[in-house]
Amino acid sequence: MSQYIIRRLLQMIPTLIGISIIVFAISQMVPGDYITASQNPNMTAERADQLRAIYGLDKPPAQQYFVWVKNMLTGNLGDSFQHKMPVTSVINTYVWNSFLIAFVTLILSWTIAAFVGVFSAQFQYSFFDKVVTLIVFLLMSLPSFFIGLLVIKYFALDLKLFPTGGMTTAGLKVSGFEQIKDIAKHMVLPVAVMTALSIGGLTRYFRTGMLEVIRQDYIRTARAKGLKERTVIFKHAFRNALLPAITLLGLELPGLFGGAMILERVFAWPGIGQVYLASLNMRDYPLMLGFTMFLAVLTLLGNLISDVLYGVADPRIRLK
Amino acid sequence: MKKRLSLMLVTLMAFGSILAACGGEEAAPADESAVTTPAETGEEATEETPAENAEESGSESAIGLTEATDMSMNPAPALARTDSMIIGTVAPQGVFNPLFHQTAYDFAIDDIIFPSLIKVKEDGTYENDMADKIDISDDNLTYTFHIRDDANFSDGTPVTANDYLFAAKVLMDASYDGQSDPLSWNIVGANEYNEGTSADISGIKVIDDKTVEVTVSDYDAMTQINLGLIPPMSEAYYGANYKQGDVSSIKELNNKPMGAGPYKMTSYSAGQEVDMEANENYYGGAPKVKSLIFKVTTDLTSISTLQSGETDLDNVTVNEDNVEELQASGFLDVDILKNNGYGYVAMNNNNPLFTDVKVRQALTYGLNREEVVVAAYGPYAEVINIPQSDVSWAYTAENIDTYDYDPEKAKQLLEEAGWVEGADGIREKDGKKFEINFSATADNPVIEALIPIMTENYEELGIKLVTETLDFNAIMEKKDRGDYDMFFAAWGLTPDPDTTVYITDGAQNNSGYSNPKVDELYAQGKKELDLEKRKEIYAQAYQLINADAPEILMYQRTNMLAINGRLDGWDISPYKEYQHSLSQVEIAQ
Repeated sequence: MSQYIIRRLLQMIPTLIGISIIVFAISQMVPGDYITASQNPNMTAERADQLRAIYGLDKPPAQQYFVWVKNMLTGNLGDSFQHKMPVTSVINTYVWNSFLIAFVTLILSWTIAAFVGVFSAQFQYSFFDKVVTLIVFLLMSLPSFFIGLLVIKYFALDLKLFPTGGMTTAGLKVSGFEQIKDIAKHMVLPVAVMTALSIGGLTRYFRTGMLEVIRQDYIRTARAKGLKERTVIFKHAFRNALLPAITLLGLELPGLFGGAMILERVFAWPGIGQVYLASLNMRDYPLMLGFTMFLAVLTLLGNLISDVLYGVADPRIRLK
Repeated sequence: MKKRLSLMLVTLMAFGSILAACGGEEAAPADESAVTTPAETGEEATEETPAENAEESGSESAIGLTEATDMSMNPAPALARTDSMIIGTVAPQGVFNPLFHQTAYDFAIDDIIFPSLIKVKEDGTYENDMADKIDISDDNLTYTFHIRDDANFSDGTPVTANDYLFAAKVLMDASYDGQSDPLSWNIVGANEYNEGTSADISGIKVIDDKTVEVTVSDYDAMTQINLGLIPPMSEAYYGANYKQGDVSSIKELNNKPMGAGPYKMTSYSAGQEVDMEANENYYGGAPKVKSLIFKVTTDLTSISTLQSGETDLDNVTVNEDNVEELQASGFLDVDILKNNGYGYVAMNNNNPLFTDVKVRQALTYGLNREEVVVAAYGPYAEVINIPQSDVSWAYTAENIDTYDYDPEKAKQLLEEAGWVEGADGIREKDGKKFEINFSATADNPVIEALIPIMTENYEELGIKLVTETLDFNAIMEKKDRGDYDMFFAAWGLTPDPDTTVYITDGAQNNSGYSNPKVDELYAQGKKELDLEKRKEIYAQAYQLINADAPEILMYQRTNMLAINGRLDGWDISPYKEYQHSLSQVEIAQ
């Protein structure tokens, strides 16, 4: 197993080199750079040249690429043009806020989706199944900013149950438990919307997985043995139905850190998604490339983790 | 309810599409002096969202201040803040240093912490701020600034001439990567300091603690402003680890600013809020409201946070629904202010199609600009005829042709220019058909209003309009190559009318316009220091530009501020932004 992991990790190196070349090449091909994107009407050609020289943008692309890679190998992603501080600290400042809501959403949506999926499979074509399917498809097809604004209107403005946006109450100076309570209150609406959106697809996965499993012979055998229905479903069927979901879980890893561009904006949540989007608009290459590479590494790791977990969970699969 | 929802949907779609457009169609920032240049970022481009319907056109009073009508509606959270105010803002980037900041949001906060020697007035001229006297030598090359005796930093240390020199050194440093172009100010010795051949800037002399003398090698009207806007930065605080050629130690303090302004920053949490406290040492008198908080909102939450009383002031996208909603709340003052900028349709003056002034005039007469502007912005924008804001001291309406929509006159001008109608109804000259290729950005509300009207109007003139949709940056590239017919963009306006947009080969001259008389007037205007004479010079320049019609000037739009009626004492105008009033604002009880 450890040999397998090491081999997979080594395989990641050429993949990452490939990714770095592609994203760098794309960034070079996009029209405009940070100097033109800042659209300063007083910018003279001389000043623009000075700035390009300071940022190293005047060097040939190949040289820029190697400088970037060399710095990256030493853990230095460069300084963000916009934020005027190291890219790593920019990411560190914002990414945990995104992680917080993404993580809670992940737990909630998986738990709910697992239960709902299993039940609607068990009672396939029942009234419950039909209602659940309807709701799930409804939620899946609604645009996130739309329900986002709708819940703000009803739960924050009309009912005044939750704050309209942000992560903390402005001007409230509290610490410890009170602070956690304050943040939790601000999290309710964004987490609820994100959960509602992601639950749809997941429920379908669980339902399909479960439907496939409960038609297998061994389930019939278990029932024939006279086992209780609950034991059959949760002990025998559920574990097997979970297997395909493990792949999905691995792929969720970059999503945990990637931020939600649109919902962060709707709820004024101080996450990395908005910052990343702004770096694209402003052609803030160090931040844009740095964060893209960060996500690429997470995606590859996520794949590896799901493969490994698959091996652990399903003894029929042997990793070599 | 149903109607409300559909309106909401439209707003949402507009938002979604703007998000996709990203690039920011406003080609220039809204406010800057040479020192401080906040760039218009992608977020700010969302301000271009127009009114959804334009039925109520022509209501004259749409622009201006509407006072709160019913303060009893004020929600409890706002009333509970008896010694603090909360300002909603788009997230600042955390560059709280006036030498390095870039967005308008960092700029607003820096304005409060770091005053300069001079400050802008309502009409775009400047007055003394931290300096109580400025002496200018007869040859206009030497400027002596006398810093106020009572000017102290928030840590209690006095603001000295050395702190001014220090800020200038950072600006002239070879590694300085802010938005200013300090070497263009012609300070004697600046280049030597930049190149590292001298450890001092010979043109800046510290006479005594409170007096500094700056010598320039060449002057113009901007010199005094450029020099006066260098904000003194505490050398003791910022300069501890500074070495010539490396400004990184100064940038490390970006999130812990310390200046001499009315408020000092007590804490900053990125993307969430900025907490500030009154600076008791402020030379203009300690502010009346003790605590000031900037809370991050987005264009989607700004109205709801105002309504719930979570914020006291915020910028809100101007459109009829938003105005109505804010006014309906009863406790909000709604201030609609002219934006410092204008939208225009650029024509390639070097393209044979547009070299003839009569053709350019005809295209302006032949376009129903009023209809376009109303479709895009409702009553919240006005058609303009000179490239200047009507709140500026340089504005003139004398001898300005208003180019009212007149297709007959347009046709006549085209005939005079030799473009005659062909068999298919399209005008021709020397066997060439009059066909204009318009490069449009996707999802821009102005373009969505403009293209159908323009196509129809020009068809009536016998001109075929072909549109191609491109990314804004791609259009700018085409422009740089001179390979275009027409595109739509917008300029920001500085308080001073000096610009390179209309001078031959100017850095910002997008249209290739060239008129030696205009060049001469702009050069004169830049060199003249007397305001009355400058007014005359710019009026002449604007009259020439108006007659030459190098581009189709479209509109000046507006921005909207909503302020909780419990706060009094504001003095806000398009140039003098809300942050300049904060030290005098009071909470009405």
